[in-house]
Amino acid sequence: MGRKGRLLAAVAGLALFVSVAATAAFGAHQADPGITKTSIHIGGTFPLTGVASAYKTIPAAESAYFAYVNAHGGVNGRMIDFTVVDDAYNPAQTVSAVQQLVEQSKVFALVGDLGTAPGLATWGYTNQHKVPQVFLATGDSYWGFCAHKACQGSPKPYTIGWQPDYPSEGRLYGKYIAQNMPNAKIGIIFQNDAFGKNYITGLKQGLGSKSNLIVDQEGFNATDTTVTQQILALKAKGADTLFIVATPGQAIASLVTATKIGWSPTTFLANVSNIRPFLLAAAKAGANLDGLISSAYLESPILDANRPGMVLGKQIIDTYAPALSSDWAAGDSNLVYGLGVAWTFAYALQNAGKNPTRASLETALHSMNTTKNPFVYPGIAIQTSATDNFPLEQLILTKWSGGPDGAAHPFGQLLKSGR
Amino acid sequence: MVELARKLALPERRLPASPVLVVLLGSCVFLVIGCLQSTIFAQQTVAGLAQGAVYGSLALALVLIYRATEVINFAQGEMAMASVYIAYQLIQWGFSYWEAFAVTLAVAFVLGIAIQVAVIRPVQHKSVIAVVIVTVGLFILIDGLVNWKWGGAIRFMPAPFGGRVYHAGGVAFARQDLGTLVVTIASVMLLWALFQFTKLGLGMRAAALRPAAASLVGVRVNRMLAVGWGLAAVLGAVAGLMAEPSQFVLQPTLMQPILLYAFAAAVLGGLESPAGAVVGGLALGIFLNLIGQYVHFVTSELRLPFAFAVLLAVLLVKPTGLFGHGKVRKV
Amino acid sequence: MRARVPAVASAAAVAVVLALLPFGMSGYHQALGAKVATFFIAILGLDILTGYTGQISIGHGAFMAIGGYTTAVLSRDHHTNLVLTMLVAFAVCFVCGLLVGLPALRLSGVYLALATFALAVSVPQIPLKFSTYLGGSGGVQSSRTVSHLWLYGVSWAAAAILFVLAWLILRGRTGRAFRAIRDSEVAAVSSGVKLPVYKTLAFGISAAFAGVAGSLYVLGTNGFAQPSEFGIILSLQILIGAAVAGLGSLWGVLVGAVFVGLLPEISSSVPLIGSAHGQDVVFGLLVILVMVVLPTGVAGLFQRLRRLRAPT
Repeated sequence: MGRKGRLLAAVAGLALFVSVAATAAFGAHQADPGITKTSIHIGGTFPLTGVASAYKTIPAAESAYFAYVNAHGGVNGRMIDFTVVDDAYNPAQTVSAVQQLVEQSKVFALVGDLGTAPGLATWGYTNQHKVPQVFLATGDSYWGFCAHKACQGSPKPYTIGWQPDYPSEGRLYGKYIAQNMPNAKIGIIFQNDAFGKNYITGLKQGLGSKSNLIVDQEGFNATDTTVTQQILALKAKGADTLFIVATPGQAIASLVTATKIGWSPTTFLANVSNIRPFLLAAAKAGANLDGLISSAYLESPILDANRPGMVLGKQIIDTYAPALSSDWAAGDSNLVYGLGVAWTFAYALQNAGKNPTRASLETALHSMNTTKNPFVYPGIAIQTSATDNFPLEQLILTKWSGGPDGAAHPFGQLLKSGR
Repeated sequence: MVELARKLALPERRLPASPVLVVLLGSCVFLVIGCLQSTIFAQQTVAGLAQGAVYGSLALALVLIYRATEVINFAQGEMAMASVYIAYQLIQWGFSYWEAFAVTLAVAFVLGIAIQVAVIRPVQHKSVIAVVIVTVGLFILIDGLVNWKWGGAIRFMPAPFGGRVYHAGGVAFARQDLGTLVVTIASVMLLWALFQFTKLGLGMRAAALRPAAASLVGVRVNRMLAVGWGLAAVLGAVAGLMAEPSQFVLQPTLMQPILLYAFAAAVLGGLESPAGAVVGGLALGIFLNLIGQYVHFVTSELRLPFAFAVLLAVLLVKPTGLFGHGKVRKV
Repeated sequence: MRARVPAVASAAAVAVVLALLPFGMSGYHQALGAKVATFFIAILGLDILTGYTGQISIGHGAFMAIGGYTTAVLSRDHHTNLVLTMLVAFAVCFVCGLLVGLPALRLSGVYLALATFALAVSVPQIPLKFSTYLGGSGGVQSSRTVSHLWLYGVSWAAAAILFVLAWLILRGRTGRAFRAIRDSEVAAVSSGVKLPVYKTLAFGISAAFAGVAGSLYVLGTNGFAQPSEFGIILSLQILIGAAVAGLGSLWGVLVGAVFVGLLPEISSSVPLIGSAHGQDVVFGLLVILVMVVLPTGVAGLFQRLRRLRAPT
């Protein structure tokens, strides 16, 4: 062959090789994205800015835990690469962020996405694309009920929550009141959305035949900054028991306002606001906290400081997220929450096998059974099954004592949500 | 000075029109009777006054800018919020609350002037839209800067007037709320005195109403506009510093809901009237609390739309507001 | 006549580019392209209202909300064809726009701006109040979701159709009436233009466009409509887009839409300012800068350039 001929043959051969290789590559079994022999890429959307940004310490703690795990060899030899994306608690932004994580960053799974509204905006997409959406940071019960039931059009088996759900918590308070305070006159101040309304549903279920003890309920918007008018209305209706379903900002406002107008009802607080630094601030602004009843499912950095879980937690925060050490010292349970969720993910990932796939992760997530999570309250089991999509279902009631420098002390027995 | 005013033919400040006065007096009588009849009515009124004072103090800043420069400053709330963060930082560095307060006001004044000169002046003679957009851009910029420097976490500041609560006749009065009310009223009176009795105030009024004539008689119009913004920034800072204790926590969204109510209050009182801004704020605060208490249809989701229903009603019936005069539309 | 040929040619060129673009892009970028188209339509609507009749509106997010919810609710309850829901949104918002335009006749300038601002803040609260039917804070989920490519195609098709519609309206008698009103209401009245009719009509058309944009916006968020998606920031973005585009001209609208639709994405990938707050700082600075340097927007810039090139 002449030189031109050889060149032509070489080019043809190359082209043939490339097309065969390409076909092979595309025809070959596509492994799950986001996972290699040495790393696994996960992502999560959180309100790093905007109204709910008080919760941004949660992803910080999760990242710290994953750094700790990576420093100890990772999970089955894989380092966890956790990408945190801000969605400013705006569902439109969450959709965009999730699409970016799934389609651009090609994450293996979404972990810890925060917020009910953001979750509702994205769970259709994640389930359609079969992307595990793991341990949503919200206590709404959708994530537990809709694994096999059609919600908003279809079942959502790829989405799972973590913390004890709000209706269950409300139920436990209701039961407590029905048993111990049968003549209470209950006034409820609540955030006027699904979060608030679900709590009230649970409360009424727990009160059972005594749900007529509720004398009034007053709502406020998530964006409201004062709740004076609502607190005044509840007092005027003669309530002697106050039930606060609010996130920290409005919870503080409710507590302080109640004291300021000379009202001292027995107060119950949704545990999303049972966070020590905020309650201390409420006390400083004039709220009387003694006797405040709430609940917990995590260990306390202050009360349980000597327990192995909190010792480990403090170590992890000091080493991998030292900027949060002062938060830890003040007893910020958001940090413990983050550590607890991250531990659970590492546990599930471990059980997904030496070569995890999205499918094996889902299997592991639906067969969890452990009491070894060092960050949750001692005795709480993390359990799921084919019919039980609620990982945590136990709570301990707490009562505040010690005045403006005190803490929420657990009392009684561990209670199960009694679904 | 009186000669100057006459030369420029600046309109004299008149009392509001008689039907408005009748309505206001009637409402006061209604409120007093209600308070005497029912403790909860009285308590909601007192709470409404407290919240209304906060709306009114921010509305005051809005009105000052509008009166001095014919601009609606959408960034007023964020400027106020940034001032509170400056005060917070000063307190973190060891200043006492009132020292930080004073320094913050001075800083706010300078920043207000800087913003007017750097950002507003280049566009103020172009279209109305351009100025509106610029203030919106400022809103976004300032919000971003504060979040960047301090983050979105909740912070806590000492309350200027302490936490004591007085009780009289079954109604609770918080010392902090009384302090806010006093500060707001004092601000209006100081502003009125400034406009009425000082050459600077006269100059500012002239620059706003008759810029060409004013510059002919030696008023430095541009300087007056800048001072107007500086003063409004100071008023905004005061509003922010009074708003923070009412919310018990400091976060970047501090002034956002208040801005919306402040717009309604400013329109209600009359966009050109400082006294109207405060009266509008107080009236709005009381009205919203009483409506929320007694009308069950008005649940919390409707509180803000109701405030805006008031704003719309005023715009349609008497656009110049309770205390305003004269034509609104410029052909 | 002469000037129109290059205009048609450049429009055709843009159309061809837009049609070919999605085939080289990932799904995520296609979604971004659809977002730009959505803003394009909304800004076009606002331009007709503010640029051509001089009525300022900071409330177009409210019309987007109405349009978006129309699509979500119709799809959820009646499984209506999605494109059909967009037509319904167009009609519903046209009527809403007329209803708003009537009282707006009494207001102008800053007062109208405040009134529309009030609208933008209040309308998203309505689904919270009537939560049984409108989903409350839990939102409304449509029964069908669409692929990124579908959304891209339909968004830009709608954008093209509405652009042509706007062009036809504005070059006809209606457009002349609009321009007369913008330049001087007194003069317009004295030359026989019925002010109330045309001003209200402008509101209606403008709102109808925003309604279609709202439908596309909801389809772009997985068919999920929720009050917090329609905050005041949306109305402000449309207004900024219109100002950057330059009022009173159709050609700058694409630039305005790109500015508002893509800037957050671009700035988030720049490392130093990559954090969410850095984005806001940059966006705010750019908005201010653009207004200071180009107060008449991109369209104004084109005009100035054309005047420079024209023979004296």
